[in-house]
Amino acid sequence: MTPTAEPTAFTTDETYTPEGAYTFRNSREGVRRLPFPFPDDEYMYSMNLEPHVPAGDGAMRAAFDIDEHYISECHHRAQMLEAMPGVHYLALPHMMEAQWDLLELIFESYARDYPEHFTLTKTGNEWHWQNRLLGIDDTFTFGDPTTLPLEPMEYATRQAQGEFVVLEERDNDLVIGAGMTTQRADYSLRFNLGMRFFEFHGPVPKLHEMGILDRALKFLLRMKPGHPVRRVNWSLTVNPRLETSVETLPEWAPDRATVDAENAGERVYLRIELQPLHRLPRSNAIVFPVRTYLVSLAELVEHAPDWAKRIHRALASLDPELVDYKGFHRYHAAAVAWLAQHDDGAPLATGYPWAEGGIQPGD
Amino acid sequence: MLITGIKSRPVYDRLAPMASGLRHLAIAQGSGGQPMLRLLADMTPAQRGVATVVYSSESFTGNSYEAELRAVDGIDLRLCASNVEALQVLDDLLSTAKMGTRLYLAGSEGFIGTAMQRATEYGLDRDEILREHAGSFVRRVWCAHCNAYTENVTQRIFRCPGCGLDLVVRDHYSSRLAAFQGVKADGEVPGELPEIEELDT
Repeated sequence: MTPTAEPTAFTTDETYTPEGAYTFRNSREGVRRLPFPFPDDEYMYSMNLEPHVPAGDGAMRAAFDIDEHYISECHHRAQMLEAMPGVHYLALPHMMEAQWDLLELIFESYARDYPEHFTLTKTGNEWHWQNRLLGIDDTFTFGDPTTLPLEPMEYATRQAQGEFVVLEERDNDLVIGAGMTTQRADYSLRFNLGMRFFEFHGPVPKLHEMGILDRALKFLLRMKPGHPVRRVNWSLTVNPRLETSVETLPEWAPDRATVDAENAGERVYLRIELQPLHRLPRSNAIVFPVRTYLVSLAELVEHAPDWAKRIHRALASLDPELVDYKGFHRYHAAAVAWLAQHDDGAPLATGYPWAEGGIQPGD
Repeated sequence: MLITGIKSRPVYDRLAPMASGLRHLAIAQGSGGQPMLRLLADMTPAQRGVATVVYSSESFTGNSYEAELRAVDGIDLRLCASNVEALQVLDDLLSTAKMGTRLYLAGSEGFIGTAMQRATEYGLDRDEILREHAGSFVRRVWCAHCNAYTENVTQRIFRCPGCGLDLVVRDHYSSRLAAFQGVKADGEVPGELPEIEELDT
């Protein structure tokens, strides 16, 4: 694994809420390492699954990426869980084995990929976990939930960036069995828990008609432990707000009406989702993590001008049905108009930035 | 906001006697009495002899099949005045049900959905249950903001009795909650409501 060029400087006190005045910011390096999700000038849905192998020295370097926002994001998760108990974290009773699987996967990955921050020491089933970024030093017995202060999945994912949805395999289908979803984009975990694969994808347009879901489900059911796959997805959101659940829609939806062509650069954020899926070894469940990155359009222009040009073209040519589904119908035109000022029409490379010859951030 | 095309709505069956059943537990409400009568007529006398029928005469459309069910010979019939009562009877019967029990549900979507919640709690498999929808497709709606449930919703926009918000009913159904999803209809701009329409109930 390639070492990062410089140690990450963690920002510990930034906020993702209006109460906290949205102090979230990206550094230049933070922007240029993003898993930018537009390989072409035109965007259309695809399964775009690829083997989750280390690539480049950005977000695709580790199994579970952490970045400069790790500490503040973990604090935000704790605040959200405290504010709305039983809404952001749920696990069906029979998911305990998968919970331990997930804890193991996250802790082993972090300790392997970031030994400077995390250490996992195993003596049989007695595990010693050290998380120096959050100041955690615990010992527990693997497989014995009474030795942890929280359920294993909650304990582990409170120390992880991104959402985690665990799918159990049942009758050749995948059913949502557990989730840690303090950053979800306009859905409800309480509502979706227990849903089958086609059910929880129900609201997404075009997928069913295009046959993508059929192929995706067949592919996922063939997944084997130790061979993760990944895809990227994206949306737009207003303000650097991570928690945009259905439950709190009355709080965040009005922000969509505040965007105009003057303020779009500061207000509108690209929300990138990196989804590295893993088959879990004991439970045979599949974990579907959604590692979310926020970057404002202005930050893209300043630190990654070629990516800003690319997103301008992708948004300008986007299928109206997707604009509607992704929820930015009201400010789509403003975002495109603002970005147009920063696009000279120069040809851009195709392919994801972490792929050979793919689009780079530009200078 | 996406509110069209329902992929998560349950696909219903046509009730027919399950030959593998050793006991038959049939529960219906309102217009569900009609498929229940058909089911009983399709059963052999031996199957009817091990059948328990629970019927609630509570109905959104006002249809009752109570008299017709009373006229069926050789069944164990439990009549209830309300759906809540019928579901309680179902709960009691499931708590002592043995292997080989087959469950038949008929009625409104909300009724079938809540009966399914009970059946799932008792660990019945999907292949041990048949569900037939009957009567109006009125919806049971869960409010994402205050957690209240509203029965018999027929309009795309309605006022939540729990929190007073105007909700839009999304075409998205949760079996676990046995309900459609309701979210604030004028979330982006207060007072700016989507078009009010009759649900494709």
